[in-house]
Amino acid sequence: MEGIYLTIVLCPLAASIVAGLFGRQIGRAGAHSITIAAVAVSFLLSAYVLKAIAVDGAATYNAAVYRWAAVGALTMEVGFLVDHLTALMMTVVTFVSLCVHVYTIGYMHDDDGYQRFFSYISLFTFAMLMLVMSNNFLQLFFGWEAVGVVSYLLIGFWYKRDTAIFANMKAFLVNRVGDFGFLLGIAALLMYTGSLDYVQVFGHAERLSGESIEIVSGMQWSALTVACICLFVGAMGKSAQMPLHVWLPDSMEGPTPISALIHAATMVTAGIFMVARMSPLFEHSVTALSVVIVIGATTAFLTGLLGLVQNDIKRVVAYSTLSQLGYMTVALGASAYAAGIFHLATHAFFKALLFLAAGSVIIALHHEQDMRNMGGLRKYMPITYWTSLIGSLALIGFPGFSGFFSKDILIEAVHASTTPGAHFAYWCVLIGVFVTALYSFRMFFLVFHGEERIDPHVKSHLHESPWVVTVPLIALAIPSIVIGWLTVGPVLFGGFFDEAIFVLEEHDVVGELGAEFHGSLAFVTHAFVASPALYLAAAGVLVAWFLYMYRPGLPGQISEKIDVIHRLLVNKYYFDWFNENVLARGTRCLGGGLSRFGDQMVIDGGIVNGSARVVALLSIVVRNLQSGYLYHYAFAMIIGLAALIGWLVVEL
Amino acid sequence: MIATLLFYAFAAVLTVAALGVVTSKNPVHAAFFLVLAFFQSALLWLLIDAEFLAIVLVLVYVGAVMVLFLFVVMMLDINVEQLRQGYTRYLPLGVVVAGVVILEIVHVIWYRSQGLPILSVPTSHGPDYSNTKELGAVLYTEHVFAFEIAAVLLLLAIVAAITLTMRKRPGLKVQNIAEQVAVRSADRIRVVKVDAVTDAKD
Amino acid sequence: MIDLQLAAAEVFMVCAICVVLLVDVWLPDERRLLTFRLALLSLVGAAVCSAYYLPNGSVTAFSESFVTDPASAVMKIFAYLIVGLVFIYSRDFLMRAGLFKGEFFILALFALLGIMVMLSAHSMLTMYLGLELLALSQYALVAFDRDSPIAAESAMKYFVLGAIASGTLLYGISFIYGVTGTIQLGAIAAHFSQPGAITVPALLGLAFIIVGVAFKFGAVPFHMWLPDVYQGSSTPVTLFIGSVPKIAAFALAWRILSESLGDMHGSWQTMLAVLCVLSLVIGNIVAIAQSNIKRMLAYSTISHVGFIFMGFIAGTEDGLQAAMFYTLVYTLMAAAAFGMVILLSRSGFDAENLDDFKGLNARSPWFAFVMLMVMFSMAGVPPFVGFYAKLVVLGSVLDAGLIWLAITGVLLAVIGAFYYLRVVWFMYFVDPVDDSPLDAALDFRVVISANGLGLLALGLFPGVLLDLCARVIG
Repeated sequence: MEGIYLTIVLCPLAASIVAGLFGRQIGRAGAHSITIAAVAVSFLLSAYVLKAIAVDGAATYNAAVYRWAAVGALTMEVGFLVDHLTALMMTVVTFVSLCVHVYTIGYMHDDDGYQRFFSYISLFTFAMLMLVMSNNFLQLFFGWEAVGVVSYLLIGFWYKRDTAIFANMKAFLVNRVGDFGFLLGIAALLMYTGSLDYVQVFGHAERLSGESIEIVSGMQWSALTVACICLFVGAMGKSAQMPLHVWLPDSMEGPTPISALIHAATMVTAGIFMVARMSPLFEHSVTALSVVIVIGATTAFLTGLLGLVQNDIKRVVAYSTLSQLGYMTVALGASAYAAGIFHLATHAFFKALLFLAAGSVIIALHHEQDMRNMGGLRKYMPITYWTSLIGSLALIGFPGFSGFFSKDILIEAVHASTTPGAHFAYWCVLIGVFVTALYSFRMFFLVFHGEERIDPHVKSHLHESPWVVTVPLIALAIPSIVIGWLTVGPVLFGGFFDEAIFVLEEHDVVGELGAEFHGSLAFVTHAFVASPALYLAAAGVLVAWFLYMYRPGLPGQISEKIDVIHRLLVNKYYFDWFNENVLARGTRCLGGGLSRFGDQMVIDGGIVNGSARVVALLSIVVRNLQSGYLYHYAFAMIIGLAALIGWLVVEL
Repeated sequence: MIATLLFYAFAAVLTVAALGVVTSKNPVHAAFFLVLAFFQSALLWLLIDAEFLAIVLVLVYVGAVMVLFLFVVMMLDINVEQLRQGYTRYLPLGVVVAGVVILEIVHVIWYRSQGLPILSVPTSHGPDYSNTKELGAVLYTEHVFAFEIAAVLLLLAIVAAITLTMRKRPGLKVQNIAEQVAVRSADRIRVVKVDAVTDAKD
Repeated sequence: MIDLQLAAAEVFMVCAICVVLLVDVWLPDERRLLTFRLALLSLVGAAVCSAYYLPNGSVTAFSESFVTDPASAVMKIFAYLIVGLVFIYSRDFLMRAGLFKGEFFILALFALLGIMVMLSAHSMLTMYLGLELLALSQYALVAFDRDSPIAAESAMKYFVLGAIASGTLLYGISFIYGVTGTIQLGAIAAHFSQPGAITVPALLGLAFIIVGVAFKFGAVPFHMWLPDVYQGSSTPVTLFIGSVPKIAAFALAWRILSESLGDMHGSWQTMLAVLCVLSLVIGNIVAIAQSNIKRMLAYSTISHVGFIFMGFIAGTEDGLQAAMFYTLVYTLMAAAAFGMVILLSRSGFDAENLDDFKGLNARSPWFAFVMLMVMFSMAGVPPFVGFYAKLVVLGSVLDAGLIWLAITGVLLAVIGAFYYLRVVWFMYFVDPVDDSPLDAALDFRVVISANGLGLLALGLFPGVLLDLCARVIG
């Protein structure tokens, strides 16, 4: 099996290297062929692994593949931990990556950096796989950083655009803040357990919850809580939780395929995956879980509201992603890890679908992204239309679609959770359902229905996107519909994650829910009766229809009336303003000051040049001691002699 | 008793003479003071039965070296004024440093040498004792290597002196005897045939 | 072996000098090259004698006034080699300057004889005589260019100061004699090994002796003659006095301080440490302000002397071996450096200023490289041998626990690297002031290239020389 795992990981890497270094030699066709072939191989093998583990019941694989270094008692190695959770993630990642690869053939058709793009997305696939398949913190961190770097490269893919460069720096720097916390968490765990291996660290979890750490003198905190919160800070950066969410909307500067791949389905879910993987640790720290749930809920609700005022089609989907990530985080905080992961999986499909559909619209309209210049596209792009509808329905939780299962169970789990803050979270996610539906269908109606506000020149060329674009859409639409129905039972309630995810009995909300689960159909019908979410969603759709189809002028009037709130939303709660004007400018000033004073004046001027000047001056002065007069010389000798004798006499 | 008295007397004159060498304004006076110093040293050596050295000191140093010194001093037209410039400027500092060194040496020899074994005055020898013979016996046996090196040193001195000073002045008429003797008549005389009688040309 | 066999090299040298002298007197000017060749032959002969009549271990002769041991033999052979280099480098310069007289070689051979005597000295008297032999020849050599007023001035300064130093040395020797009753170095050592033998008068004598030793080396504050003499002499003479006499100075310090007065180590260690630090400071710092390369190299010599002293200060066998290694290496480097200065000279033009090195790379890339090797070696940059020399010296100091001294040495070596690198900078990065091509005989060019490459080779394989030093001394 080790060979298979290595192949899964290394194929995309090899393809990336070839496409990257020899892009010019192998040409466009060569680049996309080799990368797609590699990712396809990875996907097929991942599916095989998933089957082997989930269906055939193969044992969990946890072994080291390569030992990098040993420092004292600590060994640093590359290893794989492949259990149900990993297998699921692997399959999701490779599948979405494959779809995006194919999609890119159409989307980046006219771009000069064609081969470079394929190289990057293959590289990303490799990094993400390393992350999810890791069996130790060091490799996890490597994958973590690697996906961050590739994300930076891809957001700034069109590097000649100022906005793209701004966005990729922002993404990288905000992620850095998160990574800093992440590293502190890993270091804390290393310090207290002496190992970086998952299994060994998990073994110490209970002991650690009892140990305390004194960071600020006088205040004792549980070591495990501190470590978990630090780890979660990393998750906040990577999965864009508030306040480290600011980079995700800006990341839309990158081409749409990567918005789909990285910022919807895979990279942003790394944080969620990580917390789920660390469930043995988090479970023993109620404080950490509480922090997780509160932050997740806040994010889910507030970013959803922001989606209501966006005019760029990709931004809407971006804020939607932020909101859904919040949902997943809430699930983690409620100890419903399985529900969170399940939502992660379903979300990957329909969010990627929505992004790719948005991309389809964008290229059809010759890179027009403002929704105010769209409308009535239903006639022109049927496949895109229908797949978008499916995606949107899945997103809002339409009964039977995959989003429905994952979201409803999630909300129920939060409702049943005893984590402090779960009550607040419940209301957040519940109202969030309404908001989700509202912005989703706002987008849907604005783009595909209603009056056509399209530029006439563009309209004349308007047609459905090529098959390389639409086939991935369809490929993603299918799981968006059926995967929930088919897998909710076995995955959530069938002990799928038993070995991978650890839940303390008193926190086991999913288990409680499982007791009442009687199959997908029963769940659907039950929802009509007992789930307020369903009706909230319906209400949201209705309101959207009302505002954007029935009375199109109304939204404008409302926003005038609630101008303050509207401006707050448009300015994204002033997070960006704060970051740019206070933090960034302050840091730049400090840096400039230190550079001018500390570096140039003190070090360069004083120490380096100063010491040289002193020596030179000294040299010129002492040179004059050599007067040329013989009697001076003789005198010096006699004085030297007198001094030597004097020393001798005095010393004794 | 007398020996000690004589020692102090000669040593005092020696010291004064040495100071006189340094402080004299006239270089000839300084040379004479130096001669006096040498004489005193020779007398001191006589006191410890080193008569060969004493006589050699007088013969060589006074007879040869100082004579040469005086020759040079009298031949060179030295502008003493210029040489003595700055004398009073440096005198205080010089006195101080010299004083310090003297004090230190005196301190060491006098105060810090208490309790140290003192070499006794060498035993007096009878009238048959020949310092010269004793010196010779040691010089050519025990110290033959040093002696030879000293001889080489003298050779070096000759070579160095000639290297630095010997010049062939241009335009000097020098006789080369060997050449003169080796001359052949054919080099000096050319026989020419001339008629005894010639008519005067009109 | 009988005494004369042990002193075979010295005897041979005296005879050779006499032969060369007589032959030279009868040679007409145009046949002067024969003197040069005879001088070289006498070096070879002396080397053969030194190598052939080498006893195992240390043997004394001539009533304990002469000693032969492997260390002195090694150093003598090194001295022959360096003097040979001096002759080869100097020949053409002397011819062009009209100074190609047999006396140059004869005086140099006299000096070499003085060095040999000093190396094999086993009594204070012999040591002093060897010293005088060397000094006197050097006084004459410095004034060799009779028509140069600054040469005469330098010679005067050297002579007067040298006389003062000799006088001081003698005074110190007399004190030691007064305390011990003997002038044999071995007997003196035996005397001071007894407890309580180190009395204040003995230390006073030691102080005077150190003045003499320091003057010979050129350590501060007895260094004042060095820059003037190096600059004032004609460059071949500077080449000679800048290289070989360091071996003699080492012999002086080794025989007198280390061997015979070794038990007074505690006292002269401090004194030497003070001189060492002063030399390092003055040497390195003043060299920076020099524009005349001979003067600059003179000050650099002073700083190198500081390093050699470090080996003595350490007081261990390792230290002494390191000092010997450094001395030998230094003579090689100095020979090459001054040789390069001669190389750049042409008829009527003495390449004395740093400006003359400007743009050397454009004029002759190979010799710029040779000079680079020499400069880097002097600065102590690996892989050249100068680095190892500094390394072993500093290592021995550290092992002796004198960390402050090592730090000072390193700091000042860094400061000092400036003026060596300045030469390299001038050669490679500045346009030449004088564009004419280099004009030197083939044997000169071959030998100086070998000299420079030797610095590299010894740097790559320092073990050979280091082992030799370790085996013969200490």
